[in-house]
Amino acid sequence: MKGTLKVEAKNPEATIRGLFARWLKDSRLSAILVPAYSAGGIATVALFSNPEKLSEAAPLLPAMAVNAASIVAEIARDASANAKVGLFLRPCELRAVVELMKLKQVAPDSLVLIGADCPGTYKAAGFRNVRGEDDDFDNKYVRDQSGYAENVNFRTACQMCEYAKPLVFDLNVGFVGMDPDKELWVEAATDKGKALLEGVELQAQDEPEKRKQTLEKLSAARKAKTAARIEELDKAVMGPEKLVEYFADCLNCHNCMKVCPVCYCRECFFDSDTFQRDIAEHVRVSLRKGATRMPSETLLFHLTRMNHMMASCVQCGICEDSCPVTIGLATLFKKVSQNAQKEFDYVSGSSLDEPLPLATFRESEFARVGEE
Amino acid sequence: MANYEPKIVGFLCNWCTYAGADLAGTSRMQYPPNMRPIRVMCSGAVDSVYILRALLEGADGVFIGGCHPGDCHYVSGNYKARRRMVLFNSVMNSLGLDTDRVWLRWISAAEGRKFADTITEMTEHLSKKGPSAFKDKWEV
Repeated sequence: MKGTLKVEAKNPEATIRGLFARWLKDSRLSAILVPAYSAGGIATVALFSNPEKLSEAAPLLPAMAVNAASIVAEIARDASANAKVGLFLRPCELRAVVELMKLKQVAPDSLVLIGADCPGTYKAAGFRNVRGEDDDFDNKYVRDQSGYAENVNFRTACQMCEYAKPLVFDLNVGFVGMDPDKELWVEAATDKGKALLEGVELQAQDEPEKRKQTLEKLSAARKAKTAARIEELDKAVMGPEKLVEYFADCLNCHNCMKVCPVCYCRECFFDSDTFQRDIAEHVRVSLRKGATRMPSETLLFHLTRMNHMMASCVQCGICEDSCPVTIGLATLFKKVSQNAQKEFDYVSGSSLDEPLPLATFRESEFARVGEE
Repeated sequence: MANYEPKIVGFLCNWCTYAGADLAGTSRMQYPPNMRPIRVMCSGAVDSVYILRALLEGADGVFIGGCHPGDCHYVSGNYKARRRMVLFNSVMNSLGLDTDRVWLRWISAAEGRKFADTITEMTEHLSKKGPSAFKDKWEV
């Protein structure tokens, strides 16, 4: 089921809120997770249940405070099926939710995945100043981005992201390649999505050519940008000397791990007693090289994290936003995860059926590994 | 450099490679003493963190020995180790780090000769290659 949805009063954001209100009023959804402005301008995410409150929801808010998949993992680890919760999420958030479902960290039954197009977002920190007092900021952003316009103020990861349209969804609400003052693109991919569209007046049609072309244009431009960024990155990171330098400022705060949507262990190995060394142990390590960096084993943390998470990394770059010493993690993880996933013909979050690369194997594959 | 002797940390699977090492020993086969063996229950139990910690703390090489594909005591541990190795190599390549310092090899309990030869070959390779860049790096 797909088609265009008429936009009321040149206000796409309000039109989307109207859909939410309908679903909450007739109890098709018990609640819906949507971006919102708190305290008058700070980007956040909220779980709305009362349709009256929806005026404060900002579904098209173009700033990312968290990857909301982390929140989904908090609230829907073993969700009961009597609550139906809608998740209005960006493509990278949906991809992370898909990975978490495969990692058995999110129970899918009570959730409806509602995707929104996202051509890019601003960092949450400082976004208040970007937006100013402009109440129509979100709609202006949508108008500006509907034709794809490069924006160098977007988050690093967003500037390299080729997926403006969600990969897996029950329902998608899109504006890329549309005239968002007049109509939005709505598409249901599953029965859950179709159930939400019942009673919604759609102009049924195939996905418009202009939309497809715009998405392709965006994707091509972003791939080119990624390649250029990785070329720059390589000059700064390749080889043991540079790699050590790249991570030299690390404070060992583990923020990058804590905010990572797919870093799912409830207790990280690196927060465990294994790394609670006493002084004698530190001296023993120091004796070997004459000195040892403190806090210790920060590079080990990052390299291990890469080995553990790169197969599922969705390249959202929220790690970089959370880093207090601004280590360029977004481009680095983009490169490392793309290469790693390529080995297994895997794209994280692109399918619920494709097994996780490290949770499966075939007898006849990688025959040279272990032999030479 | 003159006195350089490569240090290799070895993770040997209990059921195959460790027994292969035993056979090499009881058969009085000569091989260089550069590898420190650590017995693990399965090559699939060797997490990347162990390999990385050895390398960052100054090991010149890491050797992982497992049962031949199809022979795993736990049915599929070595197949999983193999996939993990592919991922490990990919990450190392992406960062410009040597992948030829970490060797995964299938050596059965009957292959004492292969064990001795492999350790000899690895020791020679690392002797030629020189010490790991992390050996003197206290900043890691």
